[in-house]
Amino acid sequence: MTDEALRKLVHDVNSKCSSLKGAAALLKDAAPAERMELLRLMAEQAKALAAALDRFPRLSGG
Amino acid sequence: MAKLNILVVEDDALSRKVMAAELKAHAVEFAETAAAARKKLAGGRYDVAFLDLELGPKDDCSGLTLIAPAVARRAYVVVMSGHDSEETVEKAYELGCHDFYSKGLVGESVARVLARFTRHKDLPETEKLFTNRFVTEDPETRAAVLDALKYASSDLPLLILGPSGTGKTSLARVLHEQSGRAGAFVAVNCAAYTEDLLEAELFGYRRGAFTGADGQRKGRLLEADGGTLFLDEIGAMSLSMQSKLLKAIEEKSFYPLGSDKPESSSFRVMSATLEDMPAMVQAGRLRFDFFQRLHGKTVALKPLSRRPADVTALVAHFTRGGRRLSFAAEAKERLLAHPWPGNIRELKRFVDLVTAGHEGRISGEAVELLLVQARAESPKPGGAALSEEQYRYAREHGLSALVDRIVDAAVARCLAENAGKKTKVLAELKVSTRLLYSSLERAGRGGL
Repeated sequence: MTDEALRKLVHDVNSKCSSLKGAAALLKDAAPAERMELLRLMAEQAKALAAALDRFPRLSGG
Repeated sequence: MAKLNILVVEDDALSRKVMAAELKAHAVEFAETAAAARKKLAGGRYDVAFLDLELGPKDDCSGLTLIAPAVARRAYVVVMSGHDSEETVEKAYELGCHDFYSKGLVGESVARVLARFTRHKDLPETEKLFTNRFVTEDPETRAAVLDALKYASSDLPLLILGPSGTGKTSLARVLHEQSGRAGAFVAVNCAAYTEDLLEAELFGYRRGAFTGADGQRKGRLLEADGGTLFLDEIGAMSLSMQSKLLKAIEEKSFYPLGSDKPESSSFRVMSATLEDMPAMVQAGRLRFDFFQRLHGKTVALKPLSRRPADVTALVAHFTRGGRRLSFAAEAKERLLAHPWPGNIRELKRFVDLVTAGHEGRISGEAVELLLVQARAESPKPGGAALSEEQYRYAREHGLSALVDRIVDAAVARCLAENAGKKTKVLAELKVSTRLLYSSLERAGRGGL
């Protein structure tokens, strides 16, 4: 379980951080409404990542 | 670049936004689930399909199931990867994916993936085959493969000869893909089973056929109906099993264990071995009629040491979508001078070691050290040491049955490689006489 949970965590961190970086690069040229939408999705993504990090010790058994 | 039709299969809303911006010069459609993607693939035509493997928080790589339909629709299939396991990456390539987009990797971008697609699109069909599905730059090997491809769509059996790790299964898969057969490619490693288990695996069984047969199971022969049955390490098959299989191949019909109702299956047979088959016939270990039935067209694959041009081509292939490796001149020389006794499998292990532990330019000294490691390193516990199929088998039949099966397979292979000399098996496998004889007894070869 530990290996699988860790693999999943690494996967999530990589892909979520990658889309956060990609979205951050779009902010500068985004129209105001689009920028708000991006910020909302980025905040959701960051929260999901924090939740995954928070959950990990329980999933990995310590 | 011309405007492309692109399908992006991605469950994450933010990633879809980012992809939409990165691909704004093209006609892009999105699918959030595997079901939606399947529907789009069935109705649309896409030049490129970007597939996320995990579609949903509890998803178990359902994106993998989209590779085959996307390839069938002639899309350039790109798997988007955060940090997938080696097994997943290999599985994706095995299923026919063309490229990987490693999200977050320095120097990697959607634009680079599309540039690789353009290069791929402009390649002639044979180049695509030799740079993607069966990687070789060796002129003799290319000629042998192209010659075999002429027979891909016929019903003629194909026999692939070559040392272990030279790509026999990959070639069989390519030949199946080019055969136009609608059925599946079903591969069976004959050396991995005892005689009884191989019979159950090939023919299937009904409930109560033997102790432990609690349900019924479809055999591999039936799974291969309309497709290809690939028998690897055919030399490990016992004489009585050869006889049963020969009958099934010729009559296109067979009885599952414990059944009085015949099943019919029409499949094309491909087989592979590292052994000298005529010598096996002479030694009485291979039935002549079975041999005749298997060797319609023969392709021989050379060891990697005799295909030096393939070393660098394969290194590039194994690092696709990941970090590009840079070798110092001396390191390249050492790579080319190495005899690669484990062939492509050893080279793959070497590449894994390099990518995992080396940054920057790789020196000749580092190559030398890693070559020793690649040769000597034993399989990782929980990784290659236990395949998914073995784990399922242990759960179904118990761990000791799996251990017996592994022992029997190792004994059968070692016996075959040593022309049946038991003293050699005892020495090479470092086992007791008792263990050897109990294994032979189980395999019905006690009198050998």
